[in-house]
Amino acid sequence: MSAGARASTATKTYRPAMGAGWWTRKRHYFLYMVREFTALPLALWLLWLLYEIYRAGRGPSAFYPPSSTAFVVFSVICLLFALYHSYTFLSLAGVILHFKVLDKPVPSRLIVLSQFGLWLVASVVIGAVLIGFGR
Amino acid sequence: MAEKRITIRATRYDPEKDSAPRLQSYDIPFSDESMVVLDALNYIKSHVDGSLSYRWSCRMGICGSCGMTVNGTPKLTCAAFLRDYWPRSITVSPLNNFPIVRDLVVDMEDFMNKLKSIKPWIIRKQEVPLGAGEHRQTMDQIDDFRQFSQCINCMLCYAACPVYGLDDKFLGPAAIALARRYNLDSRDEGIKDRLPVIASSEGLWECSFVGECSVVCPKGVDPAKAIQQTKLDTTMRFVLPFGNRE
Repeated sequence: MSAGARASTATKTYRPAMGAGWWTRKRHYFLYMVREFTALPLALWLLWLLYEIYRAGRGPSAFYPPSSTAFVVFSVICLLFALYHSYTFLSLAGVILHFKVLDKPVPSRLIVLSQFGLWLVASVVIGAVLIGFGR
Repeated sequence: MAEKRITIRATRYDPEKDSAPRLQSYDIPFSDESMVVLDALNYIKSHVDGSLSYRWSCRMGICGSCGMTVNGTPKLTCAAFLRDYWPRSITVSPLNNFPIVRDLVVDMEDFMNKLKSIKPWIIRKQEVPLGAGEHRQTMDQIDDFRQFSQCINCMLCYAACPVYGLDDKFLGPAAIALARRYNLDSRDEGIKDRLPVIASSEGLWECSFVGECSVVCPKGVDPAKAIQQTKLDTTMRFVLPFGNRE
């Protein structure tokens, strides 16, 4: 029981308080916290991207692409978090989305697979556009 | 051959004497491979310590009375087999997130009030007299809500929900799943009566989709799915033209 627990004299019950480390009690809780935390590095990377766009807007003389090892490591870490974030989001979409085709409910598995398929197509298209413009 | 034994550590709390709960160990015979934690508690009550308090009734996963925390996980003790834990000891404590009344018994009042608040019954705008016949449903219409109607009110989902643990004003998984069960029922016309409760600030939007409620549910209800789908449906009702019409 947590030290923060309180005993109620009026109703003669004891209510255990939830400690700050509740999310370390179970693997599922821990993964949930990681899932929620992935938003933070993604937000940081996007803030950096906004700054880069601002610099690029000031003309070629003010812009130079970042290439330090620290930046590459930061970007790779952000990529891993982004992949995990996308994986959890698309997996949960199968739980949330529910609709019928020809009066039959579409199976969750099919919805999840189609989401991952669209993700792959979008990644290929965006990659091709970026590489195409880069040349 | 030496008798097989197992150690059960049960929470003890006497509101007249104790300032906080404590654990008490019982070393009991593990005589039958089909023994469950509830059998162990019944053995302790009958042969070792008659003062141990806990709830139980049907012994077959239907009544939902014997939910407790077994080695940190909310479970129906009638479905938690000793063989899955032996030779380790088993710690049995009351369901998390609820006030403890005595030993393994928790106060269910908050849950019962929440259950009642979502009006878990068929609501009709115009009652039809019994003589007019039954309300007919197709199998497809039943399939729409069948999963969410399996809830036995065991409260394991509340014990597993950290959102409810941190803020007990949250309506909670089982109540929202049951509201969805009635809202999806083709005979029901009460969604507008339930929306003020389920879509309130202490309703479904409190849920951050931890998902543990669905992991511990012994009947496969999947309350997390019910909550997320209701979030989507209530948003659609708000956003779409004519979304709020009956």
